[in-house]
Amino acid sequence: MAESEEEVDVLVQRVMKDISNAFKKNPNIDEIGLIPCPEARCNRSPIVLVENKLGVESWCVKFLLPYVHNKLLLYRQRKLWLDREVLIDVTCTLLLLNPDFTTAWNVRKELLQCGLLSPEKDLYLGKLALTKFPKSPDTWIHRRWVLQQVQRECCPQGSERKEHASGHRGDSTPHSERLQRLLHEEIKVCSDAAGRYPSNYNAWSHRIWVLQNLAKGNLKVLHDELSSMSHWVSMHVSDHSGFHYRQFLLKALVTELSQGQNHPELACGRESPQLPLRTPAGSHSPPQSNGDGLASSSEDLHEATVPHLFHDEMELCTDLIETYPGHETLWCHRRHVFFLWHHWKQQQRRESGSIFLRPGDSCNDPLVEANGESANGQPMDVDGVSDRVKHGGYTQDSKRRKRGPEPPCPRLTAEHNFIDQTLATCRSPEQRRFATAYRKWLDSVIVLCVIAANSAEDLGIRGVSRSHHTLQELGTPHLTLSFSDLLTDTDGPS
Amino acid sequence: GTQVKDVVIKPDAPNTLLLDKHADYIAAYGSKKDDYEYTLSEYLRMSGIYWGLTVMDLMDQLHRMNRDEILEFIRSCQHECGGISASVGHDPHLLYTLSAVQILSLYDNLGSINVDKVVEYVKGLQQDDGSFAGDKWGEIDTRFSFCAVATLALLGRLESVNLEKAVEFVLSCMNFDGGFGCRPGSESHAGQIYCCTGFLSVTGQLHRVNADLLGWWLCERQLPSGGLNGRPEKLPDVCYSWWVLASLKIIGRIHWIDKAKLRTFILACQDEETGGFADRPGDMVDPFHTLFGVAGLSLLGDEQIKPVNPVFCMPEDVLQRIGLHPEGFLTSENMLEMSR
Ligand SMILES: [Zn+2]
Repeated sequence: MAESEEEVDVLVQRVMKDISNAFKKNPNIDEIGLIPCPEARCNRSPIVLVENKLGVESWCVKFLLPYVHNKLLLYRQRKLWLDREVLIDVTCTLLLLNPDFTTAWNVRKELLQCGLLSPEKDLYLGKLALTKFPKSPDTWIHRRWVLQQVQRECCPQGSERKEHASGHRGDSTPHSERLQRLLHEEIKVCSDAAGRYPSNYNAWSHRIWVLQNLAKGNLKVLHDELSSMSHWVSMHVSDHSGFHYRQFLLKALVTELSQGQNHPELACGRESPQLPLRTPAGSHSPPQSNGDGLASSSEDLHEATVPHLFHDEMELCTDLIETYPGHETLWCHRRHVFFLWHHWKQQQRRESGSIFLRPGDSCNDPLVEANGESANGQPMDVDGVSDRVKHGGYTQDSKRRKRGPEPPCPRLTAEHNFIDQTLATCRSPEQRRFATAYRKWLDSVIVLCVIAANSAEDLGIRGVSRSHHTLQELGTPHLTLSFSDLLTDTDGPS
Repeated sequence: GTQVKDVVIKPDAPNTLLLDKHADYIAAYGSKKDDYEYTLSEYLRMSGIYWGLTVMDLMDQLHRMNRDEILEFIRSCQHECGGISASVGHDPHLLYTLSAVQILSLYDNLGSINVDKVVEYVKGLQQDDGSFAGDKWGEIDTRFSFCAVATLALLGRLESVNLEKAVEFVLSCMNFDGGFGCRPGSESHAGQIYCCTGFLSVTGQLHRVNADLLGWWLCERQLPSGGLNGRPEKLPDVCYSWWVLASLKIIGRIHWIDKAKLRTFILACQDEETGGFADRPGDMVDPFHTLFGVAGLSLLGDEQIKPVNPVFCMPEDVLQRIGLHPEGFLTSENMLEMSR
C-alpha cells in the first residue's frame, strides 16, 4: 500500500501509464466505470480492461485524483512545466474522475487550438466521461466548444456556414462529410446519455443546440429525428425532457414548413390559400430528388403538412395517455402540442392579411367546429369568430379545393370530449387530476389567448370591453379563480 | 395507475428548525480541507464559500467564519482579466465572479478587489445578441445573464452593459408555458426560471413576464409531500424548492402554493445528528442544500431567520446597506397581464 509521497508518485505514474496503454490497446473503449474495491490486490494494476469497458478500482482514486488535480493546478500557475503528452494524460485521468473540473477542459481547449490535440479525440474523451457522468455540465459545454471549432475549420470566415452545416443538395465534400459524421455521432452521444439518466436536461438541451447549429433548417434531419423519437418517447413516458425535444422538433418543422409556404412563387395564389400547405418544403427542399438518399424522405416531406403533423402528434399523445395513465409528462406534452397548433392557426390567420377569418381556416380552427358549435354543443362566441363562420359558409368549398384528404385536426371540442371521457372511465386519481388541470388550462390559457388575439384584431369593431365581457360569460372572470380551483383539486390545503 | 414520483415524510422526521446544529455543521465544514470530497469540489469552491457564509449570515452567525482568510483568498482568485476563479490556479468564470462579489457584499468589503476590472470583465462577456458568455470560451446560458447583471448591480454598475439587448435575449428564452430555459428553444427549468425572473427583476423588466402563466407552471411543481420539483415528474428537492419559491415571490405569486406543507417538507430534510439539510429526507447533507433549506424557510416567513432577498439569495439587510432595491415584486394588480 502506497503511503509516502514518493510511493504515491510511483503508483500514480504507473496507473496513468496503464490508462493510456489501455486506450492504445483498445481504441474502441466505450464505457468507463469505478470498480468497488476497498483494498489494493498486490501487484495488480487497478486499471481493468474487460472487452470495451475500462474500469478503475476504487481504492486507487483517493491517490490518483489529488495527484493529477495538484499537477494540473501547478501547471496552470506556471509553477510546473508539463509537456504535451503528460498534459494530455493528466487531463484525461482528471476528467474521467471529475469531469466538471472546468479548468482541465480549458487546458485541452488550448492544446486543441495549438493543433496538439484532435477534436475527435477530445470528443471521444467527453463521450467516455458521459458514460459515467451523463449530466456533467462542463463536459457538454466543452463539446459545444469543440463542435464550433470544427465547424469554423470546415467553413472558414463563417461564410456559407448554413449551406455547409445543413448539408443540402448532396454536397459531398470532405468537410460536409465530416460534419455529417459529427452530427450523427453527437445525436448518438445524446441518446446514450439520455438513456443513462432520466430527464437529462443537459443532454437534451445539447441535442437542441446541435440541431440549431449543425443542422439548421435541415428538414430531413428534423423528420428523421421526429420519427426516431416516436419510439423513444413511447418507451420513456415520464421523460419530460425527451418530450420537450419532440416539441422542439415539431415547432422547428412547422416553422420550416411555414417558411416554405411564404415563398413568393407559392404564396401568390390567393384564391387557393391552402395550396402552399401542400408543398411545404418550398425552397428548402428541391423538388427533384437526386438519388443522394434524400429521395424517399423528400416524398415524405410533401406528405407531411402541418395539419398532418399535429394530427399524428395528438394521436400519439392520446394513445400514450390511455396506455400509461397518470403521467404528468404526457399531459404537459398535450398542452404544448395543442398550444403550438393553436398558435400556428392564429399566425396563419394573421398572415392572411385580413381581419376576417380566411374561409379555408374554419374547418381546422382549433376552437371552432365547422358548424360553429363549441365544446359543450353550445354556440361558442368567445373568440368572436364563430358567427362569421356561420355567415361565411365557405367550408364546403375550401374542402373541395384541397388535394388529398385533410386529416381531422385538434379542436377544442375534441379536447373536451377527451377529458370527459378520461374522467368518466379512468379510476387513477392522478390521471383524473391531470385531466382536470388540462381542462382548466384550456379554459383559461387558450381561451384568454384567443380573446387577446381577437381583441387586438377587432379593436375598431368591438372594442376591448367586449373581451372582458366574454371572459365573464365563460365563468372565469379572473384567472386566479381557476387557479385556486386547480390547487384544491390537487393535494393542496383542504 | 403509476406511483407519483414523490417522497413520503416519515412521522418521526424532524419538524422543528435545528438552527444551532446547522451553524455548527457549516462552521466545521471548512476545516476538513484534506478530505477527498473537498478536493473533488474545489472547482466550485468560491460558490461553496458563498453558500456557507450566506446561510451563516441568515442565521446571524457570520462572525464564526474566518473573515480575513476568506478576503485574502478572494483577492488571490482575481485574474489579470478582472474575472474571478473558483479557487487559486483555476480559470476565471462569471459564476465565481458573482459568488465572490456576493461574499464581499456580505462582508461590506468590495474594495478588496479591483472593481473596475470586474466590470470590464463582465462587459467583455456580453455578445452581440445581448447574451452573456460564462467565460472567454463562449458558452451561452441565461444563468450567465443573471450572473452578469447581479454582479454589476451589487457593484452599482448596472449601466455598464447593454441592458436592452440583454433583456431581449433573456425574453427570447421564454417558453409557451411562461417558463425559461438555458437558451432559445430549451425546456423550462426551475433553476433557469429563477435566473431569468431574477434577471428581469434586477433590470426592472418584470412586467414582461406572463406572471399568471408562469405562476401556474411553478405551482404545479408542488407535490403531495409538499416539496417542489424543478420539472414535471422529477423528485422534490430542497434546492428546487428554493428556486421555485423565490421565482414565485419575485413574480408576486407566492400565495399560490401550500406554504405549510412546503415547510414540513423542508424541515424533514434536516439531519438531526450532523446538522445541515439534504436534497430529500434521509439523504446526505451538504452546504448547498443547507443554504437553500434555510433561505426557503426564511421566504416562508420563519422569524428565527433573517429575511432573505429572493433575487440575490442574500440577507435583506445586506442589500439595504448597499442601497440596492430590486424592482418591486409583481402584485396581483398585474393579474391580467396575460391578455397582452
Ligand atoms: Zn438539489
